[in-house]
Amino acid sequence: MTELTIAMPKGRIFEEAYQMLIDAGFNLPEEVEMSRKLMIEIPEEKIRFILAKPMDVPVYVEHGVADIGIAGKDTLLELKRNVHELLDLKISQCYIASAGLPNTKMNEIAPRIATKYPNVAMDYYKEIGEQVEIIELNGSIELAPMIGLADRIVDIVSTGRTLKENGLVEYERITDVSSRLIANPVSYRMKSARIQDIVTRLKKIVN
Amino acid sequence: MTTIKKFEKPIGMRDTFPVTFEKTEAIRNSGRTFLRGRGFEFVNTPSLEYYDTVGKASAIYDASLFKLVDSQGNTLVLRPDMTTPITRLATSKLLKEKIPLRLAYFANVFRAQQLEGGRPAEFEQMGIEVIGDKTVYADAEVIITAIQLVQDYGIQSFKVTIGHAGILNCILNDYTENETQANKLRSLLIERNYVGFEEAVHSFDLPKTKSDALLQFINEAANIESIEQIEKYVSKNESLLYMRQLAEIINLANLSKYVSFDFTLSSHMNYYTGMLFEIFAEGSGFPLGNGGRYDGLLHHFGSDVGATGFGIRVDRLLEIIPNQKTEEKTVAIIFEDEEFIKALDLSITLRTEGNHVTLQSRNGLVNEEAFIKVFDEVLYVTQEDK
Repeated sequence: MTELTIAMPKGRIFEEAYQMLIDAGFNLPEEVEMSRKLMIEIPEEKIRFILAKPMDVPVYVEHGVADIGIAGKDTLLELKRNVHELLDLKISQCYIASAGLPNTKMNEIAPRIATKYPNVAMDYYKEIGEQVEIIELNGSIELAPMIGLADRIVDIVSTGRTLKENGLVEYERITDVSSRLIANPVSYRMKSARIQDIVTRLKKIVN
Repeated sequence: MTTIKKFEKPIGMRDTFPVTFEKTEAIRNSGRTFLRGRGFEFVNTPSLEYYDTVGKASAIYDASLFKLVDSQGNTLVLRPDMTTPITRLATSKLLKEKIPLRLAYFANVFRAQQLEGGRPAEFEQMGIEVIGDKTVYADAEVIITAIQLVQDYGIQSFKVTIGHAGILNCILNDYTENETQANKLRSLLIERNYVGFEEAVHSFDLPKTKSDALLQFINEAANIESIEQIEKYVSKNESLLYMRQLAEIINLANLSKYVSFDFTLSSHMNYYTGMLFEIFAEGSGFPLGNGGRYDGLLHHFGSDVGATGFGIRVDRLLEIIPNQKTEEKTVAIIFEDEEFIKALDLSITLRTEGNHVTLQSRNGLVNEEAFIKVFDEVLYVTQEDK
């Protein structure tokens, strides 16, 4: 059996995906001591987990330092990395939407959009034939309309509570998001048996 | 804009240091010997071409082209690939002299980077083109040459994945309702987005037989051992027969174990009209090379004789092939100025013995100790010798 390196996002997605692997019959320890570790070796299954920031998972996989990985559809759409998207794990489901102050229209001249996802936002507004200016922010996106920085925001929505608490309403639902199993193009060929095995076993758990 | 520092180079441009240079040169030499031994003739084409001819035909994304303007106002491009210029060269001149042509190249190609580093914007490619032979034997020759070339470089662990643009089109058109749907699925396959493919199939509202067939196809066709497995999706046609023959020839050449078939393989290079393939090797995260039949590109240049070929990334070969110690011994002769003649004579003798000899005046050295460290052997020619 060949070694397999899996890049995983830290936190909740890791726990859910890890449980899915256990359910799929992989011999993994029930309790895994996470704390500050960035690498976890599972010699019994010849698997090594790399723990990364969610946005970095597609980068690791594209460069082949991880064979496969688990990444949110939002990061895949934003980063447009050259990776194979193999399976929808249907965990951490949410969606990307545009939002703004209630009953407002976008400014006619150069409407401004604040977002963590400049590429996703730009692609979306281009698609609907709207020329906008993107303002990239790293957090607290909801602030932007209130303080007059932007007409709309484009952000992840899971329950909609954050929007409500900040007095914003959702305008357009842009795309659904969930965690995906992705693979490096070379690993996909060179380790095809192992990767296919994981896909088949996880697919049974998903459905 | 930040000011450009003195040491900076344009994004994606790389210097070649001595060790890499020698390794590249060794790759060139053995590659040239190998390909010339198989009847391929080496050619080169200019770095600059017209945007309207080669630039547009190359099928490289427009944003990746380096463009400039000549004194007449024509847009030029730094060649983004070699297949297109060689097609221009062949159709305009060489095909009149010999057909089929077997051409080979080692050349730098240029593709601008929009993302961050990690990818070069100028890199060397090597490859072959067989122009003017439409038979399956030409395609087989290309694949077999690719496999044996990779083997010749001492690479053990690699895989060639073969698909067929015609068969894929056939399947996509048969199981969808219109052109738009087929194109949508094709572009998802180019991105290798299998999840998106399944979602799109569900969203099309196709008759159950069609959607089931597509879903089964996407699960099965990416990794199949023999052509028979794909036959249930397509009615018997020439392309299928062609692929069977191709598989058979590769089998006769005893190279089947390096080959697998993937009928979902699709390329944004829309001039690939028939079989196409990708080469993967352990040691690099990126594909080593790719190739295929590009009769469409020949047609674009006004010829219908057909062509097939492959290209391999030399920069990725460099990553994969282990460093080899050079056989030649490096010798430094450090001389005092008065003894120059003696040192010169000694250097000539040592060079005829096949050593790499550096002749260095002792007065010219700032740090002698650091200098002599990099040589296998150090000889001194000083007055005390007398």
